[in-house]
Amino acid sequence: MTDVAIQMDAVWKKFQRGERHDSLRDLVPAVARRILHGARPAAELGANDFWALRDVSFEVQRGDALGIIGHNGAGKSTLLKILTKLLRPTLGTYMTQGRVGALIEVTAGFHPDLTGRENIFLNGSIIGMKRADIERRFDAIVEFSGIGDFIDTPVKRYSSGMNARLGFSIAAHLEPEILIIDEVLSVGDYTFQGKCIRWMQDLLKSGTTVIFVSHNMDAVLSLCNSAILLDHGLVASKGELTKVVGDYYKSGGRWKPELLAQSNARTVEFSCSHGNDVLVDPGERVTFSHTISATSDCELTPGFFVTRGDKPVVDTTYARMRGHPLRLREGETATVEWSLAFNLPAGVYEIGYHVGDFDGGYHEHQSRACIVTVGDDPRVRGDAYVALEMMESATGVHTPSPARLVAGA
Amino acid sequence: MIADLKSATIEVWEHRELLEQLTRRDIKLRYKQAAMGFAWAIFMPCLIVLSGLIIRFAMAQISGQTLKRVDVANIAIKGVGWAFFVGALGFATASLVGNSNLVTKIYFPREVLPLSSVGAQAFDTSIGLLTLIVIMPFLGVRLHTSFVWIPLLLLLLVLFTTGVSLFLSCANLFFRDVKYIVQVVLMFGIFFTPIFFEPSMLGVRGAHLAMLNPLTGILEGLRLSVVQGHNLLYPLSVVVKGVERPVWEPWELVYSGVFAIVAVFGAAVMFRRLQHLFAEYV
Repeated sequence: MTDVAIQMDAVWKKFQRGERHDSLRDLVPAVARRILHGARPAAELGANDFWALRDVSFEVQRGDALGIIGHNGAGKSTLLKILTKLLRPTLGTYMTQGRVGALIEVTAGFHPDLTGRENIFLNGSIIGMKRADIERRFDAIVEFSGIGDFIDTPVKRYSSGMNARLGFSIAAHLEPEILIIDEVLSVGDYTFQGKCIRWMQDLLKSGTTVIFVSHNMDAVLSLCNSAILLDHGLVASKGELTKVVGDYYKSGGRWKPELLAQSNARTVEFSCSHGNDVLVDPGERVTFSHTISATSDCELTPGFFVTRGDKPVVDTTYARMRGHPLRLREGETATVEWSLAFNLPAGVYEIGYHVGDFDGGYHEHQSRACIVTVGDDPRVRGDAYVALEMMESATGVHTPSPARLVAGA
Repeated sequence: MIADLKSATIEVWEHRELLEQLTRRDIKLRYKQAAMGFAWAIFMPCLIVLSGLIIRFAMAQISGQTLKRVDVANIAIKGVGWAFFVGALGFATASLVGNSNLVTKIYFPREVLPLSSVGAQAFDTSIGLLTLIVIMPFLGVRLHTSFVWIPLLLLLLVLFTTGVSLFLSCANLFFRDVKYIVQVVLMFGIFFTPIFFEPSMLGVRGAHLAMLNPLTGILEGLRLSVVQGHNLLYPLSVVVKGVERPVWEPWELVYSGVFAIVAVFGAAVMFRRLQHLFAEYV
């Protein structure tokens, strides 16, 4: 037995745009046409056909976690549906080794008129659990979901959060060998999400193979160890996590700087000391150089900002730092350097710049000049990366020299 | 073909607990928040028997005969069988489309959906049958050795119904008008199946035509072995105005049996071969 859990070999999937004949009345002409012209070969596209997946190949080793990322309509769901046997590839082959479980629309099997208890048994057997397993894990499922006394209430009386939590808890107790997760970690409130993340990490530690589909790059980075980027059905990038995540941001379409107004100065170059799309350690210092050249005499103020998932982290301008604008003569070029220590929690940060007037109008705006990914320091958690030291001393018979643990830079 | 049947059998067997859960769900949902409760299970058979009695009463008026107690038994046993067939098909036809949220989201052998509809209907019908067992003695039915035919006939009824259910659920997934066609056919089907009448009432040729309906052999077989105490291995006829009209011919049983088995296997193979398209087409 090899150690490959999932193998996709040149998988293609064809879909049809628009309506197909779905009443018997339309079938007869369709069949007649088919007999006259012959069936279309699988590899050929008809007028309304398109490829949802094109030549997708990858391999996942047992115990690995693969992130699948891509913009809407890139083919992620199609790929998952093939892995969960819901769809059959038009061309190509794939194999999975081990029991496949899926955390996709975890409440799909619920019936609103049945109680939570009844739905646990129903939904459990729909996703492939044996009754004995459900009985054994019943208390754990109820406990995990936090439904408590409402377990004998019909689920139609549940809030949507309770519904989702119960669905997730059932699926979480399936204990598959390969787990496929599609954007379900956003279920429930903050505490429940924390519970889910811990559960996922335990799962990975126990050697479960995971396929994780998400738009949340922070979650992908913290849970997966490799990724593939799908773009219009093609594997646009695969392999090393930070590279793939960087490619994802680049393919977002907002890569070109926006010119907001005619101006007498413009950006010639914006670069990062570590190169574009980099992985840095928490606390590491990175320098960004912003070079501007003027076509005529002008006063302007370059700005610099960092965002994480559309939330601002740092935002400042030359004028705010210096108290006066940057003055340039015709033909002059200036370089402003922004140096920043990434004392930030693990995650993906987008670095942007703008060039504006002293009175606040923008000439140029670029929100994703480069991507910096801050790596994880598993020892410390928190909203900012604060260099933290721990000291220890002990008295007794076998006292070793006092250990000094240092976290961070 | 054998491989399809084998994989279907293995997968459904592996998911027998799911089948049981879905059947329970269907049963529970019929009786939850329902005003009639378990009376619902015998509601349709009762209506069928009442309609049959009205028709038989009219026939008796014309021919100047009286309606006998045993006629109630004759209609009731076939009415329960027909109610099972109609009920199961009604629920099974919609079973795949009605559970499209499951069909598009989670993989399991899709056969369990129509099968659970048949199972839930079988539960209802067994309530009807129990009721029949209680009232049959009052309708003049006595214990006969011919009762040994009952299990075989019920099995054929279930097999035939299962086959048609698998076929129709699948057809309705691809073509939504199938549901309406089935409704209309079942509404009038009761006149093309000898429920209210017996094939012999149609004359010699009429009787033979009626026997071409695969349900005739099963339902008439039930009536004859239960009510008339007739051993189905032997033919039975009745002489009306000097002409001998067939009531029962043993080939009917073989005919219905072959029909039921071909239906269930044929539909199972078709279902297996098409089910990979379900998530895409539903």
